[in-house]
Amino acid sequence: MSPELIQAAADNRWAAIAPELSLGCLALLLLVLEIFLPKNRQSIIPTVAITGQIGLLLGFVWNLRYGPFVAYETFSGLIRHTQEGQFMRGFFMLTSILVCILGVIALAKQKLPKVEFFAITLVVSAAMMLLAQSNHFVLFFVALETVTVGFYILVSYFRTSPLSLEAGLKYLITGALSSAILLFGIVLLYGVAGNPTLPGSSSDSMNFNALRVFLEANPDNFLASVGIVFVLAGVAFKIGAVPFQIWIPDVYQGAPTPVTAFLAVASKAAGFSVLLILTKNVFGSYQTLLVPVLSVMAIATILFGNLAALTQHNVKRLIGLSGVSHAGYLLIAVIAAATEPLAAGAVYFYLFAYLLASFAVFGVMTHVAGANDADQDLEHYTGLAKTHPFLGAILAIGLGSLAGIPPLAGFMGKLLIFIAAFKAGLYTLLAVAIVGVVVSIYYYFGWIKAAYFSTWTAPLLEGETDTRPARTPVSLTAGMTLGLLAAATIVLGFYQGALGEWLLAR
Amino acid sequence: MSPDIFFYLFSALTAGSALAVVLCKNTVASALSLLVSLVGVAALFILLDAFLLAALMVFVYAGAVVALFLFIVMLIDTYGGVRKPFKKATIVASGLGLALLVTGLATLAQRGSIATPEFAGTTAPLVPVGASLRAYGEQLFTTYLLPVQIVGFLLLIAMLGVIVLSKKFEGLEDVK
Repeated sequence: MSPELIQAAADNRWAAIAPELSLGCLALLLLVLEIFLPKNRQSIIPTVAITGQIGLLLGFVWNLRYGPFVAYETFSGLIRHTQEGQFMRGFFMLTSILVCILGVIALAKQKLPKVEFFAITLVVSAAMMLLAQSNHFVLFFVALETVTVGFYILVSYFRTSPLSLEAGLKYLITGALSSAILLFGIVLLYGVAGNPTLPGSSSDSMNFNALRVFLEANPDNFLASVGIVFVLAGVAFKIGAVPFQIWIPDVYQGAPTPVTAFLAVASKAAGFSVLLILTKNVFGSYQTLLVPVLSVMAIATILFGNLAALTQHNVKRLIGLSGVSHAGYLLIAVIAAATEPLAAGAVYFYLFAYLLASFAVFGVMTHVAGANDADQDLEHYTGLAKTHPFLGAILAIGLGSLAGIPPLAGFMGKLLIFIAAFKAGLYTLLAVAIVGVVVSIYYYFGWIKAAYFSTWTAPLLEGETDTRPARTPVSLTAGMTLGLLAAATIVLGFYQGALGEWLLAR
Repeated sequence: MSPDIFFYLFSALTAGSALAVVLCKNTVASALSLLVSLVGVAALFILLDAFLLAALMVFVYAGAVVALFLFIVMLIDTYGGVRKPFKKATIVASGLGLALLVTGLATLAQRGSIATPEFAGTTAPLVPVGASLRAYGEQLFTTYLLPVQIVGFLLLIAMLGVIVLSKKFEGLEDVK
């Protein structure tokens, strides 16, 4: 073998991706346990999954201050370890734990295999962690496809429900289309940056560093511009930005509620962490192209998401469309991040506040939902605050944070984004975003109103049964998780502590 | 003959039969057009000296994937049936799409022309990774070992998905 290859083999430092490896091994362990444990003992498998991940997360946070690989590249430049990457790693591990906790509650209502759900969730989370650190289009695409294929399965996991299968099919077709567009963009960039007659060309032009050098040397290359737009379109599909939001309502409604939460939080966060890497570093010299494209996208996303959410009665569709508008606010911060260093930190803070609030709301939704997971209407929430004051309180805090009501964490997130946009001089976008926030308060408070204020419901006639599903009693684990999420939402609104310091220092 | 002629010939073959995949009314004919299109792509790879990729293209796509397509087409038996006339919205959308395509191609022709690369003697000729099995394998197991491992996990969860979504489970009530 040539010395270059030996060098490349030596650069595969597996210790650098220990968290991802451990998650993958934990997934394998779950499958092995399923084979060897007797049927009546298999109930411990979800517990193993959740406690194992909590252990991993604690170990990861404990090791954060050492971070021997931060600011280095490993795996022959496939991975670049950054502080932002470390943050996203912790973020995805936390999401994975929460999805597993919600999964236990939701799967208990279904007659379906249980273990595979946790195994797939773990593998998808590990792939997202790699995606957020990738520095090369090969790793980027492979990790992205692992995430997407995992989601195809998870979305149609409740296969006894036709809506879940329909959602899986819709996600498969639109996902495949977006992957094709993304891949075409990557190939165009690879091809044009590998052209030896152009300055700054490279034989390894899938590498982000090489691509950045090439794009800086060729500031107005037409083929590269087409490639960049295609790559952005592929990523925009993941974050659900208009005009690539077409799949969101149906898929969010049909998917099992924990998977909807996973899609809404983790998939979107993965998309934004990648978008930040691409627009800030790799495509940084093409701002004249990026700013108009992303601005139009952000305006359309905020307006569409908020206006379409106004008329929804199904809460899963409502939260899906409101998630579209959140993607719009985040896009503003991505645009501002080119000139304003505060903006990148604002994106990460917003994502974290969004995680806390969304999982609080989704946790309540899992408890209110019945066996038919796709049918979750606003009506099902009438009197929730009276019969289940705990769930009602969590719902109000979660929705309040999503709406951006002070002093909750969601308000701080929006405030940071607006400050960043103001400093970057994006006044039009700022105005649209404020209109969007005002509109969003209407539908978020409609939901809170359904839970808190009794409305007249038709009395049951003889022989009629209540169509509203029975609410699941809150277990100790779920109660503690939801309580922690709500408490963190409130605390983070008042005091951002080390997290805020770290985010705003860059 | 210069290789340019072959390039245009096989490009036309690939693009033409790809169009036929979409336009053919008979699904079997569509699948066979896909086969021709993939063989055309394999020929383009040969022109680029990527012999391994060409062989893989024929084995995997033309051999296995299209055969699978044909199996499914014959299993679900989708013959006959009158195609509905196009809706107004479809016509408007396709008109818009065509206009966009023409604009794009015109812009490409005007701005996107690429100079033919002239390899000066100073740069060492690149060894294409897709040319030989050895070079390809060595790259896979050194530089790209991590993506290969991730693909292993991808295939694992895909297999799990097939089991979860299609297997008949019995006695799930016992499993809590």
